[in-house]
Amino acid sequence: MSAPLEEKVEQRTRPTLEELKERKARNRQRVSDNAEVMTISMGPHHPSTHGVFRMDLDLDGEVIVDVRPEVGNLHRGMEKLAESKTYHQIIPLTDRLHYVVSFSQNEGYCEAVEKLMGIEVPERAKYIRSMCHEMCRIANHIIWLGFLVMDLGAITFQQITFREREYIMDLWEMLTGARLTHSFARIGGVAKDIPDGFREKMAAALEVIPKRMAEYDRLIRNNRIFLARGKDVGIFTSEDCAAWRVTGPTLRAAGCPRDLRKDEPFAAYDQLDFNVCVEYEADVIARYVLRMNEIYESIKIIKQCLDEMPDGPVIAEDAFHVIPPKKDVLRSSAAMIQDFVQVFRGPQVPKGEVYKAVETSQGELAFYIVSDGSPKPQRLRITTPCFYHCQAMQPLLQGEMLADIVGIFCGVDVCLGSCDR
Amino acid sequence: MAAAKNIDELSPAHKQVASHLQGKFGKRLLETSSFRGDLTYVVSPQDWLEVLTYCRDAEELRFDRLDSLLGNHFPEREDQPFEVIAHLVSIPHTTRIRIKTRLAEGETLPTVTGVWPSASFDERETWEMFGVVFEGHPNLTRLLTVPDFDGYPLRKDFPLQGRVGGRIRWNFKGEI
Amino acid sequence: MTQFIFLIIKAAIVFFFCVGLAAMLIWGERKYAGWMQSRLGPNYAGPMGVLQTFGDLAKLLRKEDVIPDTVDKPVFRAAPYLLWVPAALTMAVIPFGGMDAKIFGWRTDLVIANFDAGIVLFLAMGSLAVYGVVFAGWSSNSRWALIGALRSGAQMISYELSMGLSLVGVMILAGSMNLVQIVDYQSGAFWHWNFIPQLVGFVIFFIASIAELNRTPFDLPEAEQELVAGYMNEYTGMRWGIFMFSEYVNMIVMSAIMATLFFGGWRAPFESWNVIPGFLWLIAKMMGFIILYMWVRWSVPRYRYNQLMSLGWKILFPLALANLAVTALVVTVK
Repeated sequence: MSAPLEEKVEQRTRPTLEELKERKARNRQRVSDNAEVMTISMGPHHPSTHGVFRMDLDLDGEVIVDVRPEVGNLHRGMEKLAESKTYHQIIPLTDRLHYVVSFSQNEGYCEAVEKLMGIEVPERAKYIRSMCHEMCRIANHIIWLGFLVMDLGAITFQQITFREREYIMDLWEMLTGARLTHSFARIGGVAKDIPDGFREKMAAALEVIPKRMAEYDRLIRNNRIFLARGKDVGIFTSEDCAAWRVTGPTLRAAGCPRDLRKDEPFAAYDQLDFNVCVEYEADVIARYVLRMNEIYESIKIIKQCLDEMPDGPVIAEDAFHVIPPKKDVLRSSAAMIQDFVQVFRGPQVPKGEVYKAVETSQGELAFYIVSDGSPKPQRLRITTPCFYHCQAMQPLLQGEMLADIVGIFCGVDVCLGSCDR
Repeated sequence: MAAAKNIDELSPAHKQVASHLQGKFGKRLLETSSFRGDLTYVVSPQDWLEVLTYCRDAEELRFDRLDSLLGNHFPEREDQPFEVIAHLVSIPHTTRIRIKTRLAEGETLPTVTGVWPSASFDERETWEMFGVVFEGHPNLTRLLTVPDFDGYPLRKDFPLQGRVGGRIRWNFKGEI
Repeated sequence: MTQFIFLIIKAAIVFFFCVGLAAMLIWGERKYAGWMQSRLGPNYAGPMGVLQTFGDLAKLLRKEDVIPDTVDKPVFRAAPYLLWVPAALTMAVIPFGGMDAKIFGWRTDLVIANFDAGIVLFLAMGSLAVYGVVFAGWSSNSRWALIGALRSGAQMISYELSMGLSLVGVMILAGSMNLVQIVDYQSGAFWHWNFIPQLVGFVIFFIASIAELNRTPFDLPEAEQELVAGYMNEYTGMRWGIFMFSEYVNMIVMSAIMATLFFGGWRAPFESWNVIPGFLWLIAKMMGFIILYMWVRWSVPRYRYNQLMSLGWKILFPLALANLAVTALVVTVK
């Protein structure tokens, strides 16, 4: 499935870490000592800061001397809010972190809570979760590409990518009833089983998307301006990534095959067959190629999920921790009592603390939950990849040109809702 | 101190980490515990920087990434109400570890921004939310809240609603 | 005396033609972009939204004219006109039809100014337009605007050079700088037009003209994603509207010049097709170039500053020089 891109990559080189460092040093421009530095405030209402990010840029002409990132304009106090809500009530909050991949956030939170409570999720729910994760990934990577090319100047491209994302949005609508913030994951499973006709619609979408991806390739893969704007721009080696906790596609584009889907499998990923995509050039083009390859892998995973999905319930039968399915609530008294207790009191939680990380399409999203035995968490910390990606703007941008800010900033994929929490 | 509870839950790689750290630091690990496969150590604030640096540099451990650094507040613990918790990840060994330290009100902690630069935002957040001062941090200012916010929002005594802390400001003359 | 009245009438017609066409082009560009991006574009005001620009115009005129405290006020006020006027002035030298044409029994030249330094006027006005951009950016006292102005100064000056040189080939061939005579030189069917011997010159001129117009892929002075709006960052209301307008007037002028110099001006592609009036042919050719400009604008990403400069100085400039040398050689040997 990943063939269309693989074939086209001309002379795929595998630079070593030293070569990358040397290339990075050569590409980043040195600032002369007697430079006149102009400080400029980029954001929070700048069109290409993807939300409300703000940077103080020190410029010497067009060269960036220093960057001071500032976040927090979208801070909603989610962690404080979570301490006053039961574990079930927090799920909708996690939607609001990043609206493009809201299922991944839901699911990451539910994984953490399930780890805390020791719930065994039914197999079918695991497969549905994996499938939804990959739907998020496809949608996110597609519009990431649109935003990247738009930030480099070609506005039309972004509109084209939104057309393809619409296929995924329609599927979400069919599956969950909502398009963006669909709190679909539940503690112990997912909210609903897949509806009738979903498989056919998904199969149709999975037919179309690779064709459209080939169209993207024709549009920008051989576009000299796009290549010139991305080649050797924003090189960030795997060492830098580890030091600045940059995860996800940026890390994999630097040659490090780190993917939590393989390394610490969650959902049904331990039973699925897929490859971790790796690129070695560590620049914007490598990030682009990597994400496109990941979409092909995601398509493979979704097909496997739909084929191998076992029958069974989609939510665990666990009276202490799980909200029962609605149709049971209206028919059996035990389920009604369970529902009443879960909604009004909340789940029964052991004392303890857990830390669970999942791989979202931006990077590694982790939830740290401290429980004191009450139905509300004592402390919930959401460790989002974007928080660290915003912080890493400083090492990413120093020495680059002013015009490359947008490409690099978009290249690491930042969402400010996720960053500010 | 007692050896780790629930040690059987741990994966072999984590068991190695546990035995290595136990052998290296011994009594200086104030508490060791394991819950759902997460390995947790508590160290004293004086050992904080040394333990974290060792975890990064030791060849057997190679915790090359600080996954997150955060604070917590336990008002019921009179003497040491604050906790600072670091989660470390080893990419080559795919292991994780949690290292905690407990602080009294007003006690400071050395910064780990020299070990992992990514700790900078985390420490700023911990400072603004809990009031834990990190000594030697290059730029310990408010990160998520407004610069003149009063109080530490994630402390348990900070109310969820009300007009505490921030206020709506109109008078920006001379600042913009 | 009659000629003087005719002059005024011609100038008024050309002026209003320019303004009206610019207004329609703004609508057209939005519609075109919508069509490329699988959406509708403006569709509320009038049939297919053709009145959109006039609605926008009314809105812009009614808007408060905000002039920030810290700007250099006279320069700030003058800058939009400095961009506008040179653009519109160049239309004076474009021939819309034959000399000594007969209109309702009166005889007149279908050009406002038939004078010998037409190309020089065009180049001079193009250079003057830089002042509008630089003044706007400098007087705004805003750092984004300043960066935009500096970029545009460097960009326009370096591309002006290749642009001027690419035209010299045409001058040598026609032996004149008068646009009327250049059109006369191209009389006959389309294989007599200048774009065949001067293909390299035409391509260089087209690329350089995109840079002169500040359109993608050379829209660095106003790079929306980098500099917000570049040099016109601090402008509001109709002053901003004039910047917008002059961009389109410039586009009309550039395509008119290109049609005149390289594509036979008002002449039809075949001799027998000259029954259709010349100005319609000119407008048709201009429309072709304008659509080309729009197509380029909505398809390609933007160059970075250093890439733009190396394209201008390392590729276009030597190519223009070589083209000039070859043309001169061929003409001399003949």
